[in-house]
Amino acid sequence: MRTLNPACKFISLLAVTLLLAGLKDPWWNLSAFLVSLLLLLLSGIRMRTLLLYLLPVVLAAAGMFFTGYRFTAESAMPVRSDTFIFQGNSQLMNGILQLSRVLAYAGLGYLFALTTDRVFMVRSFQKQLHLPQVFAYGLLAAWGIFPHMALEYKRTKAAFRARGIRVYPVSPALLAPLLVKSVRWSEELSIAMESKGFSSNARRTDSSPVRVHARDILFTVFCCIMLPVTALLTH
Amino acid sequence: MDRKLETWKLKDVIMMAILGVVFAAVYMAVFQGGLALSTALTPFGLSNFGFEIIYGVWFMAATLAAYIIRKPGVALITEMLASAIELLMGNSGGLTVVLTGFIQGLGAEAVFAAFRYRKWDTVSMILAGIASAFLIFCYELYYLNYITLSPVLLIGQLTVRFISAAIFSGIVCRLAGDALAKTGVVRNYAIGASADIGKIYDEEE
Repeated sequence: MRTLNPACKFISLLAVTLLLAGLKDPWWNLSAFLVSLLLLLLSGIRMRTLLLYLLPVVLAAAGMFFTGYRFTAESAMPVRSDTFIFQGNSQLMNGILQLSRVLAYAGLGYLFALTTDRVFMVRSFQKQLHLPQVFAYGLLAAWGIFPHMALEYKRTKAAFRARGIRVYPVSPALLAPLLVKSVRWSEELSIAMESKGFSSNARRTDSSPVRVHARDILFTVFCCIMLPVTALLTH
Repeated sequence: MDRKLETWKLKDVIMMAILGVVFAAVYMAVFQGGLALSTALTPFGLSNFGFEIIYGVWFMAATLAAYIIRKPGVALITEMLASAIELLMGNSGGLTVVLTGFIQGLGAEAVFAAFRYRKWDTVSMILAGIASAFLIFCYELYYLNYITLSPVLLIGQLTVRFISAAIFSGIVCRLAGDALAKTGVVRNYAIGASADIGKIYDEEE
């Protein structure tokens, strides 16, 4: 998964997510989740890391199971639940549908996020999806500044503590200086980038171009054509 | 379309993207609180409300950026940049985060456009937040399969979401924007023209 072109991977996994949203089939959702986990492990993501990422997802999924179970639409909605895939106990199936939906979307989301290099992704979006240069630069600049923001937030928090002022982890008192600092950074960064020629729309060459290979096309065809056709035939 | 996009200055784009980063980080921080509340409400089947309370934070980047820059398209593009940042950060909601960013941004943009980009006050910002909340809720009926849930629950969720949007993206963003304007750091943007700026302190001072 790591070697796939980010733009192709994004389109493919987005197509699978939208397909699952349309199918409303818990078994398809759970299959997508399990396949995503398998691919993540095969891509070298450590089990411990994966479990840490999945903990909030599992909690949210459990919450959605109970919501689906206790608050089924039944005949109150314009669309009856049994017109979807529900068979047997519709309350239980609705709970499983909601639970599996959370797991599937998160699995596919992590499959993309944890196997994709961020800078390579923006460059691929720029090349293959024609993301305008100015937005690509803006995104990369903002992404590059993120670690500095985290550090600044910690510093401000420490300064408040040193003065004996108690602040909550997410506090307006901490956010206000961060916002001021962020606006200043954005101005300074844009001036610095413009001075290095980053703002012009002139065509430029790449030291390592982002290309689409045969494997990327195969993956995209599988996710965008073969899977929907299979789903259509089996439903 | 490309020619229109080329008119965006790098300064504006970086400003929008950085606001996206700030509020993506804020959202991720408050998400933990939302998750704790959501888990506590799980046995009652009301876990969704844990996240509905903080939903308005999602729209803050769009309304605040629009309030500062005051140009057509700012709310939409900021929300999309913020969602792209969320994608870069790794989002448990899945890949459609960019699509949701587009829908939310469209809601806010529609309200500012309806006011012809001339009305910049608490009312227009609250309405922008509520429009974002409404549009994304319509999409979630399909995408999150909410259509299979009880209408009573959905009305409750939508009400809490509206309140959250009004508070965070309306009232809080208006106050934040005005406070920023007073510091003078946004004097080069449209909001700076009408702001009562006090002494500007440079970092070196």
